[in-house]
Amino acid sequence: MIKNRESFLKNIADQLNRPRIKTEITKPVWTKQPQWEVYHELSKNELIDVLEEQCKVIHTTFKRGTKQNLPGILHETIIEYGGGSIITANDKRNSAFGLSSFYDHLNSDHIEVCKWDEKKGNENVHFAEQANIGITFSDITLAESGTVTLLNNKNNSRTISLLPTHYIAIIPKETLVPRMSQATRIIHEKNKNGEVIPSCVSFITGPSNSADIELNLVVGVHGPVKATYIVVE
Amino acid sequence: MGIQINQSPYEARVQKGLDDTFMRNAVSSAQERLKTGRIRSEEGIGNWDDWRALGEEIRKHTIEHLDYYLDQLSNQVVKRGGNVFFAQTAEEATDYIKTVVKQKNGKKVVKSKSMVTEEIGLNEVLQKEEVEVVETDLGEWILQLDNDPPSHIVAPALHKDRERIRDVFADKKGYDGTAIPEDLTLFAREQLRKDFLSADIGITGCNFAVAESGTVTLVTNEGNARLATSLPDTQIAVMGMERIVPTWEELDILVSLLTRAAVGQKLTSYITALTGTRLDKEIDGPSEFHLVIVDNGRSKIIGTEFQSALHCIRCAACINVCPVYRHIGGHAYGSIYPGPIGAVITPLLDGYENHQELPYASSLCAACTEACPVKIPLHELLIRHREIIVEKENKAPVSEKMMMAGFAQWASNPAAYKLSAKMVRTTLKPWIKEEQISNGPGPLKGWTDTRDFPAPKRQTFRSWYRNRQKGRTQ
Amino acid sequence: MKVSLFITCVCDMFHSNVGKDTVEILERAGCEVDFPESQTCCGQPAFNSGYLQQSKKAMKQMIQAFEHAEYVVGPSGSCVGMLKEYPKIFAGDPVWEERATELANKAYELTQFLVDILNVVDVGSKFVGKVTYHPSCHMTRVLGVKEAPIQLLKQIKGIELIELPMKEDCCGFGGTFAIKNADISTEMVKEKSRHVSETGAHYLVGGDMACLMNIGGMMSREGKNVQVIHIAEILNTQ
Repeated sequence: MIKNRESFLKNIADQLNRPRIKTEITKPVWTKQPQWEVYHELSKNELIDVLEEQCKVIHTTFKRGTKQNLPGILHETIIEYGGGSIITANDKRNSAFGLSSFYDHLNSDHIEVCKWDEKKGNENVHFAEQANIGITFSDITLAESGTVTLLNNKNNSRTISLLPTHYIAIIPKETLVPRMSQATRIIHEKNKNGEVIPSCVSFITGPSNSADIELNLVVGVHGPVKATYIVVE
Repeated sequence: MGIQINQSPYEARVQKGLDDTFMRNAVSSAQERLKTGRIRSEEGIGNWDDWRALGEEIRKHTIEHLDYYLDQLSNQVVKRGGNVFFAQTAEEATDYIKTVVKQKNGKKVVKSKSMVTEEIGLNEVLQKEEVEVVETDLGEWILQLDNDPPSHIVAPALHKDRERIRDVFADKKGYDGTAIPEDLTLFAREQLRKDFLSADIGITGCNFAVAESGTVTLVTNEGNARLATSLPDTQIAVMGMERIVPTWEELDILVSLLTRAAVGQKLTSYITALTGTRLDKEIDGPSEFHLVIVDNGRSKIIGTEFQSALHCIRCAACINVCPVYRHIGGHAYGSIYPGPIGAVITPLLDGYENHQELPYASSLCAACTEACPVKIPLHELLIRHREIIVEKENKAPVSEKMMMAGFAQWASNPAAYKLSAKMVRTTLKPWIKEEQISNGPGPLKGWTDTRDFPAPKRQTFRSWYRNRQKGRTQ
Repeated sequence: MKVSLFITCVCDMFHSNVGKDTVEILERAGCEVDFPESQTCCGQPAFNSGYLQQSKKAMKQMIQAFEHAEYVVGPSGSCVGMLKEYPKIFAGDPVWEERATELANKAYELTQFLVDILNVVDVGSKFVGKVTYHPSCHMTRVLGVKEAPIQLLKQIKGIELIELPMKEDCCGFGGTFAIKNADISTEMVKEKSRHVSETGAHYLVGGDMACLMNIGGMMSREGKNVQVIHIAEILNTQ
């Protein structure tokens, strides 16, 4: 439902001293486009180095590994974060990266792993709220800012990366791009092609933080208190 | 609350600011850190001036086609199951939100930081309806508990120190911990988590709406905006009508400019881009979504010499470099929008009547203009305000008007000017002691109350020059 | 090269020596300097206070005074910056726009003229002492002159140049701001004075006499032993 639109927009057009624009307008080609210059010449490996360096700035633990040793690195990180209960996305990549059996194994190891299950409704959220660790894959990873982009959906829900105390992002190497420009272009193209874009796109850069008290940086506010990125080659 | 936050006269507000040593030290060190961080982050992104030029070009284009993009935005929001309400005034906006909250039988609202909801005085309206409103941004929560207005648009509680915050927590929430920021923050996390889980409705602002997809984007660090848009079943986003970009590609540019200019971060911890209601089989996120687009005086700015003020992306870079802000603090401006941008937009949104001193609260040093990531000529807009106050509003003091009329006579009449250059030392002679004036007459008084004024040199330039020319021709 | 001196009303009224130094520096650099006597004030005090109509009267007088000049050079970033604004102010005025543009195009601040037009960085001066430099706001931000004064100062024999902390901060002068908001202006200049003291310099140099009067006035009242000198004075010391 839309209310009061016509009078509101007519008033704006009046102020602009012209009639309402009713036909489609083409966005101009912007005179300067410095965004495409940033890290454009870097290889994926060099982008990983940029990401690693940026992780120091954003208070995030950086690890790298291969598909083979990913379960080991993940296990080590889970233990560092104190084990407990874990919520993960119901991601197809879980099995492709050998994590499905790893999670089953953890369950028998007194660490409770819960995979997001749309059929269980709000139970998922309640579990996530009590969970110690949330684990998701990154869909697009921005080297410059150290950002994992989650195209949230019914299997990779918003709260997995939000409610637990700790957050682990698994970053497949091929998801690395120089910066936000590449990610927003992908979404722009999807939208232009008539695809349904996600109800929530989360650009996540490290753990939550605040500087609201005397401008002192405190890491860990409403979202996760600590975060680890694992780049998988 | 509305735009105006303080009824006491400008001079009293300034004096209160100048007397508050803690606040001034806090603001001074905050400015230093924010400024250094901003400059460092600007250096790492290539040619910053090109970025600024791009930002300006995008903002200019968007505002010039604002009706088109708002139309597109609203269509897209509806396509994704949302509702859009266009509010001409603050009252229309708050009435609508009140109605939605009542329809949903809402008892508790969690809010993430939003200047526009401060501007329309939303909290008071909802509280009058017995709805519990909880501000969840740490700084905003502190201010809400202490019943104090924000003093900065990005770091709203900048003027408070940790002891004051501890006392507020103890007084209002039974806190018995230390004044260490980590402890205070952890307490806030625990307290507010309960509110997030029990709230019926989440209300947020909107940093940038994306017209092409009907998306509302929130730029935060704490994660409160994510919680407020994931847990409650109803979300209401409130946006100033100018806070819009054409597509996701421009979103990238303006977010990149905003996070750098505001806090020196390449990106903040969370950039959350929300489109409509939750999709089929999604569990978190709202099932009902309302976007409230607020004019509240903004359209009056379009088509005037102040139109570029609507390009503002609320980063506070101008506030963080302003020496006047540093000494008097945010509350002295008497507006929820302080600093140079506040001095420009407050009189536009809320009239000159209660804010006519603000355009003069600047030495026109242009540090604001230089810092602005979208190149708003802030100091020039302050001069435009002064012109309106003098020529249209006719609110300048009589003494000043007389002085300026005298100035025009003097500066357009070389003979009169020459005579005054010759006579100035003689005229000021009674006040000259040891080549300084320490208690000057008339308009010099404000100056010489605190600093000396040098006596004019004995020989005028013109007599030196004339003698020299004579010597040369002989 | 023929240069017309734009002395600025502040130097004309209070600091005639700065005009004298400017003339001598330019002559040593090979210029022929004249002084159009019908010049007055650039209009900035009225313009910045919102008195557009009144300020235009001063501006028209200035445009006429320099009509025949080849180059207009003044010892002030702020006042020259004002001349550079004339075309914007008279935009659309059939009589004055073109003449305003002509003046703006040939107007230079002293150090800018020396470095950018005459390509001189060493004016042959000698000055022994600890010096710090305040880059005034309009010089750097309105006129965009940042490097020229530093380049010139560095060439002075015997100078010990110390960087001023938070140098880009305004001194609090701001024309009528110093009177209208005297309390805030005072706090700003106190802070500037503190930063000058931190350098341990005995001389504060600047390219805008009004700012120097403000800072010097505060330092004099505080009993500090720091002398303020205009950049033309130091460049003309031998």
